[in-house]
Amino acid sequence: MQWIPEYRDDVPRVERFTWLARFTHWGHTVTFLLCLFTGLILFLDGVNWLAAIFGGYAGAGWVHRISALAMTALIGFGIVFGFKGVLIWIVDLLRFGFNDLKFLVLFPLEFFGFKVNVPPQTRFNGGEKGNSLVTPIMVFLLMISGYIMWFPGYFPASLVRVAYPTHDIAMIFATVMVCMHGYLGSFHPGSGESFWGMWKGTVREDWAKHHHAVWYEETYGSMAGEKPKTILGLPVFEEYKSKPKDAE
Amino acid sequence: MANMTNLYDSSKCTACRACQVACKNWNQLPASIKPFKGNYQTHEDTDGDTFTIVLMNEVDNAASGVDWNFAKFQCMHCLDAACVKACPKGAYTKTEWGATIHDPEKCIGCQYCTYACPFGVPKHRKREDKITKCTLCADRVTAGLAPACATTCAPGALKFGDRDQLIEEARDRVNYLQANGFPNATIYGINELGGLNKLYILTDSPDKFGLPVNPKTYGTINFWQNWVQPYFGWLIPVALGASAVSFITTRLMADKHQEHPVEGGHE
Repeated sequence: MQWIPEYRDDVPRVERFTWLARFTHWGHTVTFLLCLFTGLILFLDGVNWLAAIFGGYAGAGWVHRISALAMTALIGFGIVFGFKGVLIWIVDLLRFGFNDLKFLVLFPLEFFGFKVNVPPQTRFNGGEKGNSLVTPIMVFLLMISGYIMWFPGYFPASLVRVAYPTHDIAMIFATVMVCMHGYLGSFHPGSGESFWGMWKGTVREDWAKHHHAVWYEETYGSMAGEKPKTILGLPVFEEYKSKPKDAE
Repeated sequence: MANMTNLYDSSKCTACRACQVACKNWNQLPASIKPFKGNYQTHEDTDGDTFTIVLMNEVDNAASGVDWNFAKFQCMHCLDAACVKACPKGAYTKTEWGATIHDPEKCIGCQYCTYACPFGVPKHRKREDKITKCTLCADRVTAGLAPACATTCAPGALKFGDRDQLIEEARDRVNYLQANGFPNATIYGINELGGLNKLYILTDSPDKFGLPVNPKTYGTINFWQNWVQPYFGWLIPVALGASAVSFITTRLMADKHQEHPVEGGHE
């Protein structure tokens, strides 16, 4: 049995994520998981053995706070130095269209291993677009509510009381997304190749053609270099009615 | 064991603040010196080193000019206490006689209780990063003594005893006050928040004494403790479980259809 798809350097590969995107992603992964496990200690009403791993409750509290600061710094770093990449990401999210809806409808089947015919996807498929929307919003809520809980004296008491359930709910939705994202980006046989996109920066060319046909064609394939159709600077929600020829 | 509590009678209190001093003395609390704010009240609120204060409310009264309404303020030892629910470490417990006890050994200083408390009583002691509050002198009571404040009260405004008996006494006293110049006299603490383990005889309505009329546990705190904490979290094991099922089914189906190799997905 195979855990994740093997890394193949004997086949053509195309770049998926830059060094900066990967650095921010994995930095965010480490700080998020540290915050998650130190935070779960309190969410689950005092898990002593989990606290012990971080040197007790006070230690876990400091790991939580320092990780949160590091996460904030990393997000700031990623946005400032990877601003263009963030814009490209947002523009791709704005291309949410019929093919993404179809993807979301078919996805549960694909998730459990049924063979489905997914329409061509852009750089991020319908599910990834959903994750790209939910996770940053939840992380933003976590940051805001977290700093309010850290320094409650500086905020109105009613806001502090809103911050408590907000921090928990945002944690739960973010963690659900992280669980699914982590599984799909590694152990899931269909999409596991994307792990190498985030680890080494490249994915198999045939995988890119198959899973992100629109992105592949626009970036490396027949349409590379062409400007996408835009209205008022925003890309038109243009969908490919059929797969590009050479993707077959 | 029946609930044991203090009955505070505002009509007898002279605001001498001996209770504040006795509390500091018994609990070995250092002085907490506050700037003068233009009235006789020494502290605006409880703090990490001050478990009880006497509120000195100056209330306009058309007949008498100004009413000076005193109220001893401290932890109310609510029978259904929000702090007990909100504390993630289980540092709060209820004694069988109704006191809400806070264990500093378990406390991690998160201050959830400070904001969950409808009276805002538990306070953060910065130098230890712990919460502190009135203990209803549980150590004294279990040794057969009355709380320090009730023991020291010279005008007899504080009386410690069985809660049900004290309620009866309070009813008689309120009837007397209502017939003798205090028509709005009332008892505070019988039903508020499901019952407080601190009883007040007030010569006027609670708002004239700086106490919340019909206090409620905050909706955000109830939502957080009764819904988010017990139920929402189950989404996470559901996501993990679905991933585990998918891990197996994707591989089983790939084995079944050999034309669909595992490493390639559905290429």
